[in-house]
Amino acid sequence: MGTEGMLRAENTLFTAAMIVYFAAMILYFVFISAKRDKLAKAAFAVQAAGFILHTAALVCRGIGAGRLPLTNQYEFATSFAWGLCLVSLIFVWKYKFQVLGAFSVPVVFLIIGYAAMQSKEVKELMPALRSGWLGFHVSTAIIAYGAFGVSFVLSIIFLMRDKMKDQSFMGRHVPDKEKLDMISYRSVALGLLFLTFTILTGAIWAERAWGSYWSWDPKETWSLVTWIIYAVYLHLRLRKGWKGRSAAIFAVIGFICVMFTYVGVNTLLPGMHSYG
Amino acid sequence: MSPIKKIWKFISSMQFAIILLVLLAIVCSIASFVTQGQTYAWYAQAYSERTAAVIVALHLDDAFHSWWFIVITGFLCVNLLLCNILKFPQNLRRMKNAGDAEKHLSVNGDVQAEDIREPEKLFAKLHFGKITKGSGEEYLFAAKNSAGYWGAWVCHLGILLVILGFGLGQMTKQTYTAYGVPGQSRAIGDTGYIITIDDFTIGHRADDTVEQYTSAITVRDAASGRSEQAEISVNNPASVFGLRFYQNSTGWAAKVHVDKDGEPLQDEIVCAGDYLRVKGKEDLVIYLNAFYPDYVLQEGVGPQTASSEIKNPAYLYSVYYMDRMLGMNALLEKEELKIDEYTVTFSEPQSFTLIQIKKDHFTWLALVGGLVTMLGLILAFYMQPAQMWALKQENGLWTIHGRSRKGGAIFREQFLEEATNGKE
Repeated sequence: MGTEGMLRAENTLFTAAMIVYFAAMILYFVFISAKRDKLAKAAFAVQAAGFILHTAALVCRGIGAGRLPLTNQYEFATSFAWGLCLVSLIFVWKYKFQVLGAFSVPVVFLIIGYAAMQSKEVKELMPALRSGWLGFHVSTAIIAYGAFGVSFVLSIIFLMRDKMKDQSFMGRHVPDKEKLDMISYRSVALGLLFLTFTILTGAIWAERAWGSYWSWDPKETWSLVTWIIYAVYLHLRLRKGWKGRSAAIFAVIGFICVMFTYVGVNTLLPGMHSYG
Repeated sequence: MSPIKKIWKFISSMQFAIILLVLLAIVCSIASFVTQGQTYAWYAQAYSERTAAVIVALHLDDAFHSWWFIVITGFLCVNLLLCNILKFPQNLRRMKNAGDAEKHLSVNGDVQAEDIREPEKLFAKLHFGKITKGSGEEYLFAAKNSAGYWGAWVCHLGILLVILGFGLGQMTKQTYTAYGVPGQSRAIGDTGYIITIDDFTIGHRADDTVEQYTSAITVRDAASGRSEQAEISVNNPASVFGLRFYQNSTGWAAKVHVDKDGEPLQDEIVCAGDYLRVKGKEDLVIYLNAFYPDYVLQEGVGPQTASSEIKNPAYLYSVYYMDRMLGMNALLEKEELKIDEYTVTFSEPQSFTLIQIKKDHFTWLALVGGLVTMLGLILAFYMQPAQMWALKQENGLWTIHGRSRKGGAIFREQFLEEATNGKE
């Protein structure tokens, strides 16, 4: 299959992934609203199927474009949704926590929907982007953003947990606050580790491309702001009286910073990352 | 407590660290909305006179070098340093205690399970490798991931190194730029080195987009006469004589030819953004503002280029005499500019290379700091210290205790799950 064929296949697979994510979202919704336990596994399976289609779409895009699909708004948005779905699947599977899928798939759907609105045109890379560091820098950012997305969802669930009675349907499917806090901490930990790696690889790359590893470019500055917010979250968890609700609020603020770093900076604050 | 002790305690506290971090996040985000390094007039035009006054008064025009930003960062460094100094003996003690069976056997763990038949299996399931056995096998003890106690400490150290490396770099680094077309040489600031551009190529793809900019350079030590050659391109800098050379950007240059009374006076390659002083009349300056390879003049828009191909070349120039601008206009190829007895023409448009040259002795320190921070985060997040100990009951079965300060609910859940399986 040639380049054109690959990009056509990508288009089909991308649309299919969106439809399947939508189906997963509906199944999760029915699982919660109709209180049908059996649907949880089906919804998870459909989410996983959507993820497989999404992965295949990214692979086709990569082959069709002849490079990693990580260089423009469309490619990063679809990869961001992919990363969020991946981390969500891992956390649902690891902690047997299907409700997390019910809350995270709509976020995945929103992001992939945003991707669908961007230009899918494959453009040749400008010289600064032709670097081996691109793959490390952006792929680690995708995992970081995905993990922060999951921590955002977990924090929202945490903030709603008091309203769920232990004997209720939701109460039975959502872990207690202590465990929720712990799972959220682990997703923030994963995100922060990968964000640090993103900043580090970005700095190394910037040094080679621009001659300066840190230039206070808006994207760099907002990555640092995001890093600081999550550092505050980690410190708050260690302080008595601040653990739990306050930390969860900071995890929500952290994800707002992530979204601003991704969408807001590119649209409102042009800098050296304006192509991203 | 004396006031000094109170201040000392506050400066080294986590509360102070949180305040500083929140402050840093706020000032960084505000500063990101203000275009850095502009003049008062620029801000007044972009915003308003009042906003411009606030920006300049608060040093928001150069926020990341302002005194208040340096003070906040300085306090953060002091806080991190004090935290690490105070935590060092505490961590050593924790690590020692974590591996000390005697300290655990007399107390209950955070989680317990009774009537376990084969405790070693439970230890193995929870990834506790090295088990210490009591002399009469009346107890078993194991600790894991004790290095995790050092996670935050190592992470703080890494951040300190990053700030130190960056700060020292900012204070001591030297940066220069050199630009020109092949054959031109320039002194690199006051370093004593001279750079000669041997070649400059722009690699194009089939669709005419730029693939790479590559410069071949020779750097010569003016004192010793020694010289070295290097090739640089975007993302591929080179180090020569301790200086680092980066392919930064490119632009247009042109040959400026000056005749005086019909006789050739001067021929020089001038890059866009640069100027030429007329020989014998140095107060007369020809400034090349821009070059348009495919010139079109659009009403209301001004001079434009229709394409990047040289089809209808035009040169936008300004003329200055004794620092006063006499005029500005666009001149097509072969057109002449007459200034008294002088005639100026522009020709031979060509690309020039812009090379950035840097000397920063502390980049490595910031890199080491970054790597140390990563290591600290891995230790903190993925090496969660835990201890397990088993005591023999009178009936020959075992009571097992577990403790993980960081593992929390998840460790307890895993422990109880495996313990239940162990009983079955």
